[in-house]
Amino acid sequence: MLARLRVQWGAETTFVSWRAAQDRRSRGEHCGYGRMDGVRVGNRLVGTQAPVTIGWENIPRVEGGPVKQFVFTWFQPAVLFALIAFWYYAPNSIAKASTAIGIGIGFRLFLLALEWVNPRYASWQLTWKEAVTDLFYVGLGYTILGLIEGFIGSDAVIEWVQTSYDWSKLAWFTGMPLLLQAFLISFIFDFGQYWMHRGMHNWYPLWLPHSVHHYITQLNINKGAVGNPVELFLIGLGIGGFFDFLPRAALLAGAIGLAVGTYQHINVRFNSPRWWRFLFNTTEHHSLHHSQDFEATRSNYSNSWIIIDRMFGTCIDGEAELLGMEGGRRMSIREQMTFPFTEGWKTLKEKYGKDRYDTVPAE
Amino acid sequence: MTNPSALASSRRLPQAFTSGDRVAFRFLDWIWTIQGSLPLAPGQSGDDAFGRLDPLFHQPGTSHERSGDTLTFRKKDQAAQDKMAVFDSGVLRIERVSAGAVLHYRLVSRALLACFLAPLLFLSFAGLTVVVAHLQKPSAEDAAKKKPEKKDVVRQLHPIDQALGAPAPEKPKKDDKSKDDEGPSPTPAYVFAAIFAVLYGVGRVLEARLARRLFRQRLLSA
Repeated sequence: MLARLRVQWGAETTFVSWRAAQDRRSRGEHCGYGRMDGVRVGNRLVGTQAPVTIGWENIPRVEGGPVKQFVFTWFQPAVLFALIAFWYYAPNSIAKASTAIGIGIGFRLFLLALEWVNPRYASWQLTWKEAVTDLFYVGLGYTILGLIEGFIGSDAVIEWVQTSYDWSKLAWFTGMPLLLQAFLISFIFDFGQYWMHRGMHNWYPLWLPHSVHHYITQLNINKGAVGNPVELFLIGLGIGGFFDFLPRAALLAGAIGLAVGTYQHINVRFNSPRWWRFLFNTTEHHSLHHSQDFEATRSNYSNSWIIIDRMFGTCIDGEAELLGMEGGRRMSIREQMTFPFTEGWKTLKEKYGKDRYDTVPAE
Repeated sequence: MTNPSALASSRRLPQAFTSGDRVAFRFLDWIWTIQGSLPLAPGQSGDDAFGRLDPLFHQPGTSHERSGDTLTFRKKDQAAQDKMAVFDSGVLRIERVSAGAVLHYRLVSRALLACFLAPLLFLSFAGLTVVVAHLQKPSAEDAAKKKPEKKDVVRQLHPIDQALGAPAPEKPKKDDKSKDDEGPSPTPAYVFAAIFAVLYGVGRVLEARLARRLFRQRLLSA
């Protein structure tokens, strides 16, 4: 069966393919789920197929005493500034990639514990099966995918570009202040990812490998790794890694990614400060992107800098609990591995196969 | 509490199997199946017990069938939020004994089997990494012929960073380059093989306890 979306047009409720939904939408037909009116956000009608919460004023706050409120309000900025300070002043003997990997693993373990302390939704609570599935994908990333990436992935592309062009012309980049270099590396890389991600939601061949990631029905710290390996190669092909920058600036940019991007997939409720959620992507933004509502998924494409979505009119401030595709069908790992290929083949057969001529002509 | 004989009919082992095969299969079977039994409350009927357990089998992707004192279920693409998501099929059977009625269950989990086998997969990745690293290692001759190295330029920090006290970049050490030439490392694959071995042990114990607790809570619920 092709990937189906449950939609309603007028009195007609049906399951249609992603492409059919796109076609009908482009013809100006509004699809919706009967009982839900949706919320108008600019030109869009969001939340007509599945429940979503739109607007910061409607999003629940952290419940508990003043200490808990304080911790879950200032935790994110405190970690960000602490990491920036650490990488800015760490001696050269410490400021290296292995330290960054260690901090990254330690931080993720800490956040896993935080998911138990202050979950956003009970329905997203990590189970043994979900933890094992997520770690399987993390493991692939650290092992076999990393090995292949060295030959055909972004590492190989960056190396090829760097050796085919005299990048010393861009040596001025290394002369800029460290924090400016770090910001530019982070922002330019995110800019590339934004357009790749947006392309995935708008061009069927790119959507096929990405669609698998949208079958997750809850957000947890390692859910970002879940997806078809083809997509993981594509998403790595951002720009920004081509500049000749100071190693310390790259480590600072990595720290920004860790202290901001990690919160995309996390089951923790924070009272993120207003300036934070204006600049950065949050769990709220990303849960909306993973909603079962088709229109809501076409928003919040950036990785760390949600301000890029604001620049291009694709940002929606809100959140969702009900996530996934096809009404929340969970996809097995085996299907996740084959889905883009089997779906692509079915679509090709539908379009060019002989079955399309098997209609009985009118007498 | 396990009573294998009570569920022997659900095993459906061919008659041609010898008793040795059966013992071996039972041992292997333990990897991905969870069995147990729970005494029903005095006077509790089979209908009442299955009625209390019924909501567990009305989840998306779950089909079930009841025949007398036996209930079989099957799950496909079950949601992560399903309390029995880790199981793909199973048999629940109520047996009358002299002391009362007992619920026997046998639950099958492909996730447990996959987790049990995962260390082997990651060990094979480690082996592959070792082979690739060996093939990538330049010979002494190649290393000697290596293209002339670029001059190591010591870069200067921007005056703002100097004023703020950030450590100045150092000239890259020769040792660091030799480390880069070592190629991919199999260590992460070994680490993940160990992680999945531990996770299997945890899951095998935890999921058996959770299933038992879930059934008990349902059977005792008002």
